[in-house]
Amino acid sequence: MDIDYLATVILSSLSSASILLIATIGLAVVFGLMGVINLAHGEFLMIGAYSALTATQMGVPFVLAIPIAVAVTMAIGALVEVLIIKRLYGRIFDTMLATWGISIVFYQLAVMIFGTVTPGIGMPQSNIQIGDYSLAGYPLLMIGVAALMGLFVYFLMTRTVYGMKARASIQQPEMAQAIGIESTRVNTLTFSIGCGLAGFAGAVLLPIVPATPSMGFSFVIKAFLTVVVAGPVTLTGSVLTAIGLGGGASITASFLTSVAGDIFFFLITAALLWLYPLGISAKWRRKL
Amino acid sequence: MKTLPFLRYGIAAIALMAAHATQAETRIGAIFDVTGPLNIYGIEQQRALELAVDNINENGGLLGEPVKVVSYDAQSELSKYTQFTHTAILRDKVDALFAGLTSSSREAIRPIIRKADIPYFYASLYEGGACDKQTFVTGTSASQQLSVLIEWAVKEYGKRIYIMAPDYNFGTISAHWVHEYARSLGAQVVGQDFLALTVTDFTPTIQKIQASKPDFVVALPVGSNQTGFLEQFSAAGLKDSIGIVSSNYGSGNQQVVVSPRAGDGIISNQGYYMAVDNPTNRDFIELWKQRHPIKAPLTSGAVAVWNAVNLWAKAVEKAGSADSDAVIEALESGLTFEAPNGTVKLEPGSHHLRQNIYIARGNDKHDFTILETFPSVAPFYENEKCDLIADPDLVEHFSPEAD
Repeated sequence: MDIDYLATVILSSLSSASILLIATIGLAVVFGLMGVINLAHGEFLMIGAYSALTATQMGVPFVLAIPIAVAVTMAIGALVEVLIIKRLYGRIFDTMLATWGISIVFYQLAVMIFGTVTPGIGMPQSNIQIGDYSLAGYPLLMIGVAALMGLFVYFLMTRTVYGMKARASIQQPEMAQAIGIESTRVNTLTFSIGCGLAGFAGAVLLPIVPATPSMGFSFVIKAFLTVVVAGPVTLTGSVLTAIGLGGGASITASFLTSVAGDIFFFLITAALLWLYPLGISAKWRRKL
Repeated sequence: MKTLPFLRYGIAAIALMAAHATQAETRIGAIFDVTGPLNIYGIEQQRALELAVDNINENGGLLGEPVKVVSYDAQSELSKYTQFTHTAILRDKVDALFAGLTSSSREAIRPIIRKADIPYFYASLYEGGACDKQTFVTGTSASQQLSVLIEWAVKEYGKRIYIMAPDYNFGTISAHWVHEYARSLGAQVVGQDFLALTVTDFTPTIQKIQASKPDFVVALPVGSNQTGFLEQFSAAGLKDSIGIVSSNYGSGNQQVVVSPRAGDGIISNQGYYMAVDNPTNRDFIELWKQRHPIKAPLTSGAVAVWNAVNLWAKAVEKAGSADSDAVIEALESGLTFEAPNGTVKLEPGSHHLRQNIYIARGNDKHDFTILETFPSVAPFYENEKCDLIADPDLVEHFSPEAD
C-alpha cells in the first residue's frame, strides 16, 4: 500500500467523519440534550437544503444562502415545538409518533412544492492532488466546518447565559422555574436551535448531497446511532463517536468494500452499546 | 312496517350490483406508488396509464365499450401491493393488472396473479429473469441494456472496467452481466464496489476507482441520493480521464438533479429518452402536454406503462374479448406496436419486449443527446431461458448468478 493512498484515505475518512458530525450535531442538541427523539431530524436537514437551494436559485450567493436556511429551519422548528413537541415532553413514544408523522408531512410537502427532482447546485470543481490521487476540495473543507460547528455549540451551551438556562430548564425544570427561568420559552429556543443546526447541515452539505425530498433518510439512521452511542455527554461524545464510527467505516470501505464499511459501522455500534448501554460517556465528568 | 322500504332498496341495490358485475365493460387495475419516497417514479407511471386509457376511450374504447381504470396508491409500501392486488382481483374483478416499480413489488404481486390467472404487466427497467404465463414485462432487462452498453463503452473508452453498483439484486445481477460481456469482449473488470442504498459519501469508492485506473466506470446508482456520486467524481477532476456509463442513470431524471458540469458527458442507455425523434413520440409528448405540464423529461418508465396498456388493448381487440386465456394467447401471438420509443415487439416465448436501445450522452442542459440507436434489441437472457410457448407451466425468476 503506497503512502499516497494512505494519506488520501486518512484525509477522506476525516472528511467522512466530519460530514456525519455535521449531520448529527443538531440531533445531539435535540435528542442528546433535550431527550426529544426527533424522527423528523432528517426532514429538517432536507428543509435546510431546499431553503438554501431556493435562495441560490433566486440569485443569493451560496455563502449567504446558508444563514437563510438556518433562519427558515429555526422558525419551522420553533413552530413545531410550540404546536406539538411542547405538549409531549417526557412522553417518549408519543413524541416519536408525532415526529414521525411530521416527517411524513414534510416529505410529502416537499414533493408537492418542489416536485420530485430539482436541479442541484453542483460542487465547486476544486481538488487537491496527492501523488496519483486527487480529492475533491469541498468535502475536505467540511473538516473545518465540523470543527467550527462543534466549537460553536460547545461555547453556546457552556459559556453563555442562554446555555446555562437551557441546560437548567431540561435537567431541573422546576428548580429552573423557581429561580425565574422561563423554561418553556428556553425549551422552544433550544429545540429551534437544534433544528437550525440540522438546517445548517442540509445547506452546507448541499453541494455534496443534492436536495431531494427523501435525502433526510440517508442521514437519520447513522446520526441517531451516533448520538445514542455518545451517551449523556452529548457533544464531546458525538464528536468522538463520529470520528470513530464514521472515520472507521470510511477507512474500512476504502480498503475493503462499501458494504464492509457499513458492517463495521453497525457492528461497532452494537458492540459499544453492549459494553456501554448508556453510551460511551456514561461515566465521564464533563458537562457537554 | 318501517323496515320494508329499506329492505326493498337493499334488494334493488344487490340486483343492481349483480347487473353491474355481468356488464361487459372491461376494467383494469393500476397499483403504483403515487405517494411516499417512490412516487418519483409512481406519479409518472400513473399518469402514463391514465393517458393511455383516455386515449383508447377517446378513440372508441375497446370492443365498443370504454375501459375503466381502478387505481390504488401503494404508498411506497410493499405490503400495500399484496393487499391491493387482492382487492383488485377479489372486489373489483379487474381483467388485467398494471402494477409495481421495484422488483420486490413485482415478486409480491406475481403469486397472487398466477392464482387469479389474469394478465399482469410490469413496466420498469429491472434486472431481468421474471418468467410465468401471466406476467408480461415492457421495461428493459439488464442483459438487454448492458449487452449494448458494454460493447459500445469498450470501443469508446478502452478495456479496463470498474463497476460501482447498489448492493441488491439489480446491482449484483447487472454486475454479473458486465463481467460476462467484458469477458466476451476481451475486456477486464479491474475493480468493483457494491454500495448500500443510503450511501451519500462516495470518497472511499472514488479512491478505489483511482487506485485501479479504469478506462470507464459502470455506475449504477439507484435513487437520487446517489447522484452525489457524480458530483464528487466530477469535483475530484476525474471526468476527463475516466468515462462513466450507466444503464439506469436518467430513469428517475437524475440528470435534472445533477449540476450541468457533473452531468455533462455521462453516458446513459435506456429504452426511451424524451429526445427520441420520431412522429409517434412527438404525438405522445403532445398528448402528454395537453394533460400535464412537462416539468421534467418523460422517462422510460412512463413509456413502458404506455406501451403495456396499448399492447394489452391490442391483444383484447385481437382476442375479441377481455377473457384471460384469450388475451394471453393474443399477447403471445408476436404483437407489435408503434411506440414512442420505436417499434416494439412482444416476444411470444419470454413475455419480454424486443425494443430499441438508445445510447445517450448527458449534456450541460440537464438533458440527453442521443448518440446511437440500436434497433430492436432482444431481451437476450429472457429469450434464452424462458420459453412459455414450449413450457406454459414455467414459473421462475431466472438469475444468471444461480446458473
